[in-house]
Amino acid sequence: MTNFLKVVAFSLLVISGFWGFSNFGIPQIKPADPPVEEKVDLGAMTMEQFIALGKKNYDGKGTCTLCHNSLGRAPMLDKIGTVSAERLKDARYKGTAKTVEEYLMESLVKPSAFVVSGFGKAGTNDTESPMPDVTGGGIGFNEVETKAVIAYLQDSSGSEVTVEIPKMAPPTEGAAKAEEAPLTTPDAVVTKYGCGGCHKIAGQTGEMGPDLTKIGATRNKEYLRQAMLDPDAVVAKGFNAGMMPKNYGEQMKAKELEMLLNYMAGLKK
Amino acid sequence: MLTQNIRNFCGAFVLAMAAMFMLSAFAPEANASEPTAATSAAAAPATATAPAAAAAAPANPAAPAAKAVVFPPAPKLTASDYPTIPGVNSRVAIWLVAQLHLWFGAFVVAVPMFVFIIEVIGMATRDERYDNMAYEFIKVSITAYSLTAILGGLLAFCMILFYPDLFKYMALIFKGSMWAYALLFFAESAVLYMYYYGWHWLQGGNRKWVHLTLGLLLNAVGLQLMFLANAWTTFMMSPAAVDAAGVFNGDTWAAIHNFLWNPINIHRVVANVAYGGSVVGAYAAFKFLSAQKKEERAHYDWMGYNANFIAIAALLPLPFAGYYLTAEMYAYSQQMGITLMGGVFAWIFIIQAVLIGALFLSANYYLWCGMGRSEGAYRYNPRIKYIAFVLVIAFLVWFTPHTLVLTNSELKDLGGPYHKYLGVLGIMPAKNTAVNYLLVFTFLSFMFYRRANKIATVSWASAGNAAQIALFTAGLINITILGVYHGYFTNTVYKVAASVPQVLTTLVIIIISVVIDAFMYKGAKDVAPLHWGRMPPRSQYALFLLAVSFTWLMGLMGYVRSGIRQHWHISNIFRDGSPDAFTPGLGYVASVVSVGTIMFMAMVIFVFWLSTISGRHVVAKGYWKEQQA
Amino acid sequence: MSATPKRVIPRLLQMVLVIAGAYFSFILLFDVLLGQLIPKSLLTMYMVFVVAGVVMVFTFTEEGAQELAGPIKALVEDPSRKMVRNVVFVIVPLLAGYYTYSSMLPSFEAPVELRTIHPAPPNKFKAYGKSYNLATLENPYRKFEKEDPAKFKALVKEGGDVYIKNCQYCHGDKLDGKGPYASGLNPTPLNFQDVGTIAQLQESFLFWRIATGGPGLPAEAAPWISSMPVWQEFLTEDEIWKVILFLYNYTGRQPRSWSHE
Repeated sequence: MTNFLKVVAFSLLVISGFWGFSNFGIPQIKPADPPVEEKVDLGAMTMEQFIALGKKNYDGKGTCTLCHNSLGRAPMLDKIGTVSAERLKDARYKGTAKTVEEYLMESLVKPSAFVVSGFGKAGTNDTESPMPDVTGGGIGFNEVETKAVIAYLQDSSGSEVTVEIPKMAPPTEGAAKAEEAPLTTPDAVVTKYGCGGCHKIAGQTGEMGPDLTKIGATRNKEYLRQAMLDPDAVVAKGFNAGMMPKNYGEQMKAKELEMLLNYMAGLKK
Repeated sequence: MLTQNIRNFCGAFVLAMAAMFMLSAFAPEANASEPTAATSAAAAPATATAPAAAAAAPANPAAPAAKAVVFPPAPKLTASDYPTIPGVNSRVAIWLVAQLHLWFGAFVVAVPMFVFIIEVIGMATRDERYDNMAYEFIKVSITAYSLTAILGGLLAFCMILFYPDLFKYMALIFKGSMWAYALLFFAESAVLYMYYYGWHWLQGGNRKWVHLTLGLLLNAVGLQLMFLANAWTTFMMSPAAVDAAGVFNGDTWAAIHNFLWNPINIHRVVANVAYGGSVVGAYAAFKFLSAQKKEERAHYDWMGYNANFIAIAALLPLPFAGYYLTAEMYAYSQQMGITLMGGVFAWIFIIQAVLIGALFLSANYYLWCGMGRSEGAYRYNPRIKYIAFVLVIAFLVWFTPHTLVLTNSELKDLGGPYHKYLGVLGIMPAKNTAVNYLLVFTFLSFMFYRRANKIATVSWASAGNAAQIALFTAGLINITILGVYHGYFTNTVYKVAASVPQVLTTLVIIIISVVIDAFMYKGAKDVAPLHWGRMPPRSQYALFLLAVSFTWLMGLMGYVRSGIRQHWHISNIFRDGSPDAFTPGLGYVASVVSVGTIMFMAMVIFVFWLSTISGRHVVAKGYWKEQQA
Repeated sequence: MSATPKRVIPRLLQMVLVIAGAYFSFILLFDVLLGQLIPKSLLTMYMVFVVAGVVMVFTFTEEGAQELAGPIKALVEDPSRKMVRNVVFVIVPLLAGYYTYSSMLPSFEAPVELRTIHPAPPNKFKAYGKSYNLATLENPYRKFEKEDPAKFKALVKEGGDVYIKNCQYCHGDKLDGKGPYASGLNPTPLNFQDVGTIAQLQESFLFWRIATGGPGLPAEAAPWISSMPVWQEFLTEDEIWKVILFLYNYTGRQPRSWSHE
């Protein structure tokens, strides 16, 4: 038994020796955390992190996958890098872009510059795109986020990433929002949150969602409130659940929401 | 007779290991068949496994459905996709379980290898002590075997519990080999039990041959099992036949035969033998310390000596297997290589250097102490200090880090982070040279030990000695010149390449000396009979140090092998989205490894204790009812 | 105690002398003879191994071990050495206390910073509005070394001009990191003559480091106290490649590459 205890003590001593050396004998370096997309520190950002930021915005804030998915609401973007080079040469192309990067930027801010056949707004013969400007409306990308999404698109479609990581840090989101006063007209609300991208309302002609021009005739304000705050609770016939963003409750100011609901409830004819 | 056989075995073993290493170093494209060739007779069942796994699929009724399976891309997970149990850190849990499984697995795979060889030696020499020792080794490993299986099950359970998506993804790709694994496991159990329980039944004549064949089969199946499990691990490091999104587009064999599979296989086989040797050495050491009778002490001393011999013999080629693995990692991805050697993990190799130093020093110390067994060893005692001197110097070179830890005043004094002289020692060529010195001088210790009790009677003994001295001198000069020239005066391409001729030089020294010794000490007269058991208790602690250091080292290296994937489950394919995706610092790692080592030791003590109580009988008088005859 | 007559120094003292001798030899060798001091952290570890080795040599025989332990045993057990024992038992704890005190004493020295000098490069990086893949990036001029030595020589010369105009102020006209401004920088500029620097690296790695400079270091290489400018703002891509040719040519080293020729 003494031998046993001696051996155990010896072994524990050896282990603690190794442990001690590893903890105190060598410098403790904290390995870099895995690339986190949250922190936008452009100075130290590698291209991979920038692309990851783009992906995060593509899936998250940008809600791009809402339409750019396999359900065929909008063109797939899996080959966009190579496809855009062809688009630039297309006779129907009306924009000013010279490179793939410029084309992608243009498509994001002026979606109608080139409309893929079959994906235009109904009745416009593919001259007008249903896609909103990503820098405005409900998406509100800043420059960094837009560029990051372009980088992501180029990277994920397997083509050369040509975007440069912007040098300046973007204005912080919170500060920008705090300065904004609530909008005062329903039209402004509809424009800002991009309702027209999917719905026909306030002079806009979206096709993806139900027509709202006479919605007040059939639905009351409380129903509309639910439809705004929890869109999938009741889905209109002929439309799919999951299409409408669920975060309007967070994005809109209470005043804006009430105003919009009142406006819609009043659309009886 | 005895040493002669050990000598033969030693030569064959070193040669086989060298062949294994060299083959793959020179012909990477031949790797596919290489490990199976090394197990020679096992080749038939071995090569059959992989194609069989693939061929078995069409025969399976579910095959058409399975064929239609389109492999999904690697899932993109977020923290919420990982189930958690409050109070349990899932990474530490799976880490410990995997490491414990690996320790036991390594032990269980290794023991039959040298048990087989010891049994062969016993058969050839008809010395029953070998047979008894082999039986005692396998007896120890039999309980460890069921612990390996239990831990393996626990590991699979932890995978499903904590990392279900990863498990699903891997299982889909490896479904063929997982089947084969399960079947092989049954085969392994069956063969092991037959081998162990049939030991005393299958004795003598043809029966012994049957038993030996079982031993060979056991090794073949055991190695296959390990190779299959290695494939899963290496796939996570160097995924093969997948596109950038993680969609798998090959067959099971393509996934198994990924880039790092063979390097890991070789490295693990060699390391397992060394590890197994060190663990049974600790067993023998403990039995020696607690032995009461003189014969018992002699027996366990002898057993410990053999275990230490096995550990050293496998330790000699191990650094080369390690360098080969690292070189292949660089070849697979430079990013992985630099992460491993130059980046975050650089300091882990300083810890490794300390541990390996502990291994070599304790193994040498045991040999030197062992000279006390013979009367003739006094002649050699004064020379030991020179060996120790070279070992320590070589070791200091090996330990010197590339990035020195400097205080600010030192930094200013040196004029920069580079040390003019020590910087030279920080890079690979210096370390390669040092490690070859370490090996040559460890071998020299061993040679002195074997010669200690003998006096050569052949007429050319002095000429033979002179030849050996010349051989060692020339070899060491060659190693030094190769290291210095290639390391500092040529194109860097040759830096790593220089290690190959250095290794060859070391091997040539070892092999030729063994051959010369074999002839020179043929019919040599013994100074006096060896006093087995005349060992100080100190020396037994060297064996414990060997076993503990080895266990700890394996834990550390297990971490680094897994850790270089950083925040990926499968390198660059399948991202780890869990909160534990970060790479832990070395202090934290050391804590986990230490806890794991202690857990392993506790379990090993239990296993050893079981093997001792199985032989005990207590006659409880008056307890049982008297039976009327 | 079977000390041979010729041995006059007790073994324990011998051992202490050998260890002390090793310690002072290190200091003598590095600090005095070679003029490059041995870092304290390294010396500590070196001494641990030296002590281990010496203890092993002194204890591997039974007689040796007993002779070594003899005086210590006597010190503890021998009644006639009471005085010495008491003195030792007072001095040892005092020494331990002094050591602990002095090592815990706060000092004004800035904490040791350990920088990773060769951080793992990213897969791809961005410079000149393009993205470069570090794994495949090669020096476009390297091929002329074999194909057109005259042209290669000219390119190296152009690289040399670039170096003299831009780099030598810090890295020195001998490429040894001892330029006129070097003394003002901490960490000091890299010494390209050292085998541990450019000789260990691929040209693509150098291109990355030169083009993106100190600010382009990855998080792992923190703290970013490198004063290396972002050279893509000042030099053209060609100039960087040429200067890389010059660096290797002048130092007589070859860039690391993974293919054997």
